[in-house]
Order: sequence, then C-alpha cells, then structure tokens
Amino acid sequence: MSKPGTQIVPGKYQPPLPAERFILRQPLDTEAVPMDVVFVGGGPAGLAGAIELARLVKKDNDAGGTLGDVQIAVLEKAPGLGEHCLSGAVVNPVAFRALFPELNDSDFPFRVPVTKERVYFMIGEKAQRIPTPPTMQNHGHHIASLAEIVRWLGGKAEELGVNIFTGFPAASLVMDGSKVIGVRTTPTGLGRDGNPGSGYSPPTDISARVTVLSEGSRGSLTQAYMQSERIGSANPQIYALGVKEIWETKKPLDAIVHTLCWPLPNDAFGGSFMYPLTPNLVALGIVVGLDYRQTTVDVHELLQRLKTAPLFREYLDGGEMVEWGAKTIPEGGYYALPERRYGDGVLMVGDAAGFVEVASLKGVHYAMQSGIFAARTIFKALKNGDTSPAALSEYDGLVNASFIRNDLYARRNMRLAFQRGGLYVGGIKATLMTLTNGTLPGRKIDSHLDADVSREVVPETPFVPDGKLTFSKLDANFKSGNATRDDIPSHLVVGKDIPPEVATLYQHMCPAGVYERDGDRLVVSPANCIDCKATDVIGPRWTPREGESGPRYRLM
Amino acid sequence: MTNVFAYAEARNGELRKVALETVTAARKLADSIGGEVHALLVGAPGIGARADQLAQHGADVVLVSEHAGFSQYNPEAAAALAADRIKGGGYRAAIFATSAQGRDLAPRVAAKLGVGLVTDVTAVELNGDVVIVRHPMNIGKIVATISIANTPAVISIRPNTFTPVPSARQGRVETVAPVGDPSASRVVVKELIQGGGGKLDLSDAPVVIAGGRGLKAAENFKMVEELADAFGNAAVGATRAVTDDGWRPHSDQIGQTGRLVSPDLYIAVAISGAVQHLAGMRTSRTIVAINKDKDAPIFKVADYGIVGDAFEVVPVLTAAVREARKGH
Amino acid sequence: MDVRFKISADGTSVDEAGLKYDINDFDSWAVEAALQLKEKAGQGEVVVISLGPDAAQETIRKALSMGADRAVHLKADRIPFDGFAIAGALAAELRDGGYDLILFGKMSPDSSNGIVGPIVAEMLGLPCVSAISRLDVADGKGTAKRELEGAQEIVEFPLPAVLTVDEGLNTARYPSLKGIMAAKRKPLEVKPALLGDTKVSVQRLELPPERAAGRIIGEGAAAVPDLIKALQTEAKVL
Repeated sequence: MSKPGTQIVPGKYQPPLPAERFILRQPLDTEAVPMDVVFVGGGPAGLAGAIELARLVKKDNDAGGTLGDVQIAVLEKAPGLGEHCLSGAVVNPVAFRALFPELNDSDFPFRVPVTKERVYFMIGEKAQRIPTPPTMQNHGHHIASLAEIVRWLGGKAEELGVNIFTGFPAASLVMDGSKVIGVRTTPTGLGRDGNPGSGYSPPTDISARVTVLSEGSRGSLTQAYMQSERIGSANPQIYALGVKEIWETKKPLDAIVHTLCWPLPNDAFGGSFMYPLTPNLVALGIVVGLDYRQTTVDVHELLQRLKTAPLFREYLDGGEMVEWGAKTIPEGGYYALPERRYGDGVLMVGDAAGFVEVASLKGVHYAMQSGIFAARTIFKALKNGDTSPAALSEYDGLVNASFIRNDLYARRNMRLAFQRGGLYVGGIKATLMTLTNGTLPGRKIDSHLDADVSREVVPETPFVPDGKLTFSKLDANFKSGNATRDDIPSHLVVGKDIPPEVATLYQHMCPAGVYERDGDRLVVSPANCIDCKATDVIGPRWTPREGESGPRYRLM
Repeated sequence: MTNVFAYAEARNGELRKVALETVTAARKLADSIGGEVHALLVGAPGIGARADQLAQHGADVVLVSEHAGFSQYNPEAAAALAADRIKGGGYRAAIFATSAQGRDLAPRVAAKLGVGLVTDVTAVELNGDVVIVRHPMNIGKIVATISIANTPAVISIRPNTFTPVPSARQGRVETVAPVGDPSASRVVVKELIQGGGGKLDLSDAPVVIAGGRGLKAAENFKMVEELADAFGNAAVGATRAVTDDGWRPHSDQIGQTGRLVSPDLYIAVAISGAVQHLAGMRTSRTIVAINKDKDAPIFKVADYGIVGDAFEVVPVLTAAVREARKGH
Repeated sequence: MDVRFKISADGTSVDEAGLKYDINDFDSWAVEAALQLKEKAGQGEVVVISLGPDAAQETIRKALSMGADRAVHLKADRIPFDGFAIAGALAAELRDGGYDLILFGKMSPDSSNGIVGPIVAEMLGLPCVSAISRLDVADGKGTAKRELEGAQEIVEFPLPAVLTVDEGLNTARYPSLKGIMAAKRKPLEVKPALLGDTKVSVQRLELPPERAAGRIIGEGAAAVPDLIKALQTEAKVL
C-alpha cells in the first residue's frame, strides 16, 4: 500500500510511441493499389477534403481541363462511416456552406437549431445558473449528430466517385526518405497469438501522390510522422477525455445546457453538456482534461454521478440510454499546433492537426474547413504537376489566413490558464482573456505533456451503478455497439512491471473497462477498447487493429 | 374440407418425437373444425408397426407407405407422395415439423401444391375460414401473426411446442403406394451417421446448455455435456469468458460477439449474466439459471433459478432429466 | 450489434429507420462456396442475384467485392414476407440461365422461414439438397453432408442442382481493397422483380412481451425435483 501523498507520473510507465510500426521505409508492394490522393480517416475533415477535391476536379474536367480521372480514396477503420465518430455536437455551419454553396442550411444534416442555452455552476448536485460566457454563445449554430453528419458527407462523396473503404484501418505510412509515398492497411484474421487464422487477409498497400492525415484525435500515423520529421510545436499537445451518452427521454429538452464544477475535482478542467437531438432524444456527456491530479479520477464514473443531479434526472428518469461512447479531444489550441502541417507528399487536417477550440467546444467546422483547404492545395498541385513540399506548403498559408488560425489564436491561453491555478484562478484569467479578445495575458503559457503531470494516489470512492440511470463500464460498453472479435491479438503496448497504483490509474483512466486491477496485477481486455485514445495519452500505447473492430456508433 | 393432414417423421424405423407433436397439432386444428386427422407414415418395410403410436395421439387414419427406397430419407419420393395425397385428399391444412428433415420436405411439398407455407410455427388457429399462425422472426426478437388464405394451408410447426397429447382414435391403416419409383430419385441419402460428430447446431437445437467461468476449468465442461446428452436434443454453448480462456471453441460462444440463439430451453450453468451474454440468449422461451451467487444478474432474466453449487446441482439434474426423458 | 427493432405504425412491417442492410451469414457462406468451386475448377462464372429495394445493392456489391463476376438486381419496393412470391421471381430469372449449381443461404435471419431455395428448385424441376455443411463436386455429380438432430446424412446428387448452405461449410472471405474497386466495374443488371403470388400475409408484427419475473425454485440439489416439475408442467419444455 502506498503512503498517502504518493505521486505517480504516468509517463514513467508508458512505452515510447512504437514509431517503427507506423512508418515503413521500404518500397510499396508491387500489387499496390494506385491512388492519386488518400485520406487516412473518414471523419468530417477527410470527407470534406475528398468532396472538395472531387468537385474541383470535376469542374475542371467539365470545363475542358486535362486532369482526367483523379482517383481519391478515403480509408476508414470503422465498419461503417461515422461509427467511430463522436462529438457533442453544436456545429457552426460555415464550413458546410463553403463546401456546398448551392445548398441551404435546411439541406444540411443538422437536427435542431440552437435557440436557448443555459450554463450552470454545480455546487454538489445543486445547479446554480450563471450567465452564458461569451465564448460559449451558440446563436446561429445547430445541434447535430456527428455520426449522422459523416454518413451524409459520405453519401455526397460517393456520388462524386470518391472510393470509400470502410473496415480498412491504416497501419503504417510508407515513406521513401522524407517523402510519404503511400499507406499500408492492417491485416485481417490474425489469431490471438498473432498468426494468421481462418479468414486471414494480408495487408494492402496503397500508393498516393498526396496522403492526407485525417486520423482524428491522437492519430498514430500523424504522431509518428511528426516524430520522424522532427516537427515540433510551441507547447506539447494535451488532451481531454469526453464520455457521452444518448438517451430516449420522456420529457423534451428545450435548450443546450452546459455545467461546470461538480462532480469534477476542483483542480480538473472540464465540464458537462446536455443537448436535445430531437423531441425525445438527448445527448449528454462530460469532458475532463487528462491532466487530472488524482489517480482515481474516472471520467465514466463522473458522468454517472452527474446524472444523479436533479438538473439531469428531470430529463433522464423514465427514459432509456440507447448509446454510449467516448473519445479524446486535443485541447492544446494554438500553441500546440504542429509548426508545419504539410510535408513531402503529406498534409495534416482536423483533430489530427489539433484544430479544436476548447473554450467554445468546437472542432467540426475547423476540421471540415481544413479539409477544404487541403483539397484546394492538392488540386492546384495536381494541376501544376507539382506535389513538392513547396507546393503543399500553400495549405499552411490558407489555414493561417483563415478563421481557423484567428479563432485559435484569440483563445490561445484559455485552456492553459487552467493547467495552472485550477478552476477559480483559471476562471478569472479566462474571463479576462475573453473580454480582451485574448490580448491579456498575452504571453504563451507553457504547458506539460499530460503523461508528465503527476497524480496523487488517493483511496477510491466506491461507485455502485443501479443499472437504470447509472451503468457499469461493461454495460455501457455494450451500448457502444462494440462487437470486436474476441480472439484478435492485443493492439495495446503495455509497459513492463506495472505497479498496482498504476494499474488503478489505468482502470479509472479507461472509460471502456479495458484495464482492471486484480489484486496487485493489471488485467487487460483489449476487445473492450472503443478507440477513444485516452490510453495512448497517459497509458499503454494504442495501435490499429483489424478493421471491423471497435464501437459502432449510430448517433454519436 | 375439414380434414387435416399430418406428416409423421420417422428415422431408422422409429417415429421421432416430433411426429407425435405434428399429429397433436393436427388433432387440435381438426377438432376445431370437426374433421379427421390423416397421418402419412413412410419408411422401410415394417414401419407400419408404428401406426398405432400415431393413432394414440389422434390420427383417425394412418396412410402407410412401405418401400426399400424409404429406408433413408428420400426427399423427392416423400415430397411427391405427400403432395399427391394432400392434393387428392382435400385437406384443410397440412402439418409438417420444422425439424432438419421437415425444413427440407415441407417447402418442396408446398411448391408442388402451388401454395406457400409458414415454418417454425408456434401457434395455429382457425379464424372464420382463415388459418392464422404465429411465427417468430429475427432470432426471436419479433413475433409475426400470419394469415394463410389458401387451402390447404401448409404449416410447419416448431419442435417442442405442441406437446404430444394422448387422444386415442381408431387409426385405420391405409396402405398407399409411392408415386413413381423411390429408387429413381435424383437426390439419394447414401448414409446416416448416428451421433459421433453429428452435432446439433446451436441455432437449431431446442435445448441449449451453456457453461460459464464458474465451472472453473475446461475439464468440468464434461458435466455440461452429460446434461446435454441427457436431454438428447441439446447443444452445448459457452460464455465469452470461457472461450477467451480457450476451454471451448469460439464457435460455441453465445453472446453479442458470438452466437445468437433462441431455443425453447436455455440452461445457464455457472454464468453470471453479463449483458453481453444476455444479448445472445434473452429471447429463449424458458431460461433456467444455476449459480451459487444469489445476486448474479442472470437470475433477473431466468424464469427458474437454483441458487447452488453447479458441481452439486448439475449431476442430480442430469439424472432427473434422463429419467424424465425415458421413452422419447 | 444488438439491434432494437421497432414496428412500423401500421403494425405489419419493421420500421427500418436507422437500420442498415447487410449480407447475412448464410448467404455469405453460399457466395464463398461458389467462389471456392470456381477457383477449384479454374473456370466458370459466379453470378449473384438478389431481390429487393435499392438497399439490396449494398449486399450485391459486397458479393461482387468478394469476387463474384456479375450481378442481377431484381428490384422490388419491398421484400415480401412470403417466400413463395420471392421464389417465383427468382425462378423466372434463373430458368434460362444454364447454371450448374444454384446456391442459397439456408434461411434469412429476418423472415426466418428457410423456404425459398427448395421452392425455387421445385419450380425449376431441379434436384435440391438443403442445409449442407460439406460439399464436394466432381464429374457432374455432388456429395454433401447435412446435419440432423444427433446425426448426419451423406447425400449424393447430380448436377445441375439447387443447394442451400448452412453453418460449417466454410468461412466467408473479407472483400479486399482490390476486390472492392473491381466490383465497381462489374456488370450489375437491374430489372423489375416479377414477384410470384402472395399466398401468406403478415397480419401484424409484435415485439415479444417483456419477460415476466422468474422465481428461485430453491437451493442446491434439493431443488432439482421441483425444477423438473416446473419444466414439465409449467414451461412444458421437458
């Protein structure tokens, strides 16, 4: 048993990024499938990029241009588009309008326009209404399901002839020196021992002139590429973990709701959200920075506790949870952006590049807009027959001149203000920043890697789910649609000799129940993984597994 | 048209229990319209001796067709004969069973008659002049009520649903000749292999016995297999915990990531009842749970539970089942 | 995925909002069997035929991605419950196709009837072996194994024939990336389905009632006699 006050630094037990798995320096297989452009990840960024590129090419060909047939592929690890996508979400339609200028807002796959919003400060279970902070005002925005948005975008992409390959995770980038020349997919049908079983399919190579990394939060190939090419950032990227549920409710919700404070510890960053999806569906969740300070902070459990507050029970009692899921969000903002998001044969877009604005909880329109900029850059490069780094660097120029950069710059220190000083001091700093549009305090606040933040070993607070309003991780995992094949090899790289307190940390860190402390040892059930990537941030490293694994979100 | 036809399934010179169920179902329907039950019994010479059993369960007439060509199941000859008798007999309905053989035979007969059929039927009744049946779909998650407008209404009943009821009738035997030459069938069953590898599929078995981690070791599954053996028509399944540990093959796993089953009887031995497992079996008609933890979630879905040590309960249950099944 | 079904407002069909169509396991084993036969023979053509609304194209594309050579989509607004109606349309399409083997899955997990294959065989006057778990074909003849309750049958049949496929015959291959791309260029003919007559009709669909609370019979081996009695007299499963 550890003494009270013992500190654990997760980074000490975390293996390094297994970059040798993610970067292959060898020629592509002779049977490689030839593509012109590959988008790694079929989320809003990748699909927006594919759509914009296909449109530009078509328009050019129709006008007599000589590009001809440009083969565009989107590789998506989930069995179906949208099944690994999760977000609140309250969406700013600006990128949809840029992508589909001929359509109206009413044509877009949104559920409900935002009318009312309420923010509460939770003092224990009691909800105290506070004025909506300027950063969180959502007039003109729409509540949506990201999974639905992605399916809709996918339909548009297929109509334009984009090749969408679902169930094909990218295992590695294939590089020739500093140049990305293609992607290799994961094999299928390996047994638990790692050897081919029945139904084995070998990996496939895909060659591409440009590869767009649209992997989403904590993308493995993106991390490996940046490490290989020594692309740094002013601050390291930091993450929050969001756990979300969708409920069928008897009482309709008339506003978007955000809360701060309880049940998060005072020194943890985050809050909760509850949004109406339709008259009888509600999306709710909790987001907590992974730099939390105690080993037993458990984001899934915090969400379960949150639901017991009258503010939430009012809507959930008598209802039924229909879906559950979790995902990390990059929170480092402006100073954590990679110093360049282009390279030889490669571009980085969306969450993978860190284009998320924490104070307003927005990422979808930045993702899509960055995909659009990538497409425009690639189109020009293809037209000129020049896909050199110089040509692709135009992408950074487009992003830097846009609202993506401006918005992130305006709020550049908001999140980081919390890493130092907790809720109250941070709250004051954040308010000042908003009022001054970011000019005060102006200097960059330094931040640490989440893995380097120490956490105190504290006793666990027992949590007993009731199975009706609150659920165990196992029961919740079921509602993610996770039906991963049980005997696939483990995709997680665990450090050696994990002490019991770290096993406890992992058990609480993972929302899906992958890690359990059994006595003094760590038990790992990799098939429970829903690819949220929290483990990759402060625990065992995540690697891609065979396609068709993981959750199958319908409305997340 | 008030008479009802019933196809009596036999194997190796014996009636199968499902034959009595078929006659019972036909009897029930015939009684509601004041008609007779005519059962067709085909087999090798000597099968006629079983006609009496059919009469005991409600057959007014037993049509017996004995021929060497019927020693094994002869799909084309059996279908031709059944269709011929049904067509000529003016029956209101023709009842088969959704056994392995019945699944093959009933649609052939219906097609020859130019009528459709409903299989895996769990209830039959006559509403005016329309036959109404119930049929589970989507692995038991939906139940359909279906009307059959034509005559004869061809129905194939779910095994173990129409419990055989003694209802002794005269059982007048009529010898009927096969249609054409049974040895000229194109499809020929060359061999019947008893047991030994003939595993009842989890999706078809009327009874499923599943073992969980509480069995502690792979060898202890022998106990589960013996209980399955006592039933005679049971398949053995397992939970994910058990197949993860390699005690049973992955194809035996019942649950969200394994097999979905909906048997008449599901016995969960030493299984706690995680929701992932329940997803694989919760539409079973009757669920029995044996677990030593009275708070195990499995008891929430079980119709009958025994709180106790599986190692004590199961052998006693096995002996009791063997006793109860004598004569099936 | 544990699908929760909803019944449509008129009570006679499944509310398909939010549901995805996919090839069922039995059909995928049938497609796999056809591909393996073609590979073994070194020649031949695998044609995939499916009846249904536009959503059926997903399933057809999957089969083409696995390696089938061409496809025919018999378009119908809805898939009828009555297998007789489906069989009529399929038989009309298959009649002059000159096929050596016509393979079906044993049954559709949706309608759960398992009758289309044998009815098509009768309509075409072809030999039929259903629910096969092993298959060998040579010199215009075939041998198959069928699983029975506690036994197995070995069956011989001539070609051409209709077969329906059960679990155990093979493991269906995953479509490869190349296969998916090639599928887009393969011929896919769309025709209206000429449905046969409907002989049976769905009056209503219902979700099964919530399970009534069960009871603990007793403790230990002493409870066995009472359990047997309950299974015999109440549940009537013994």
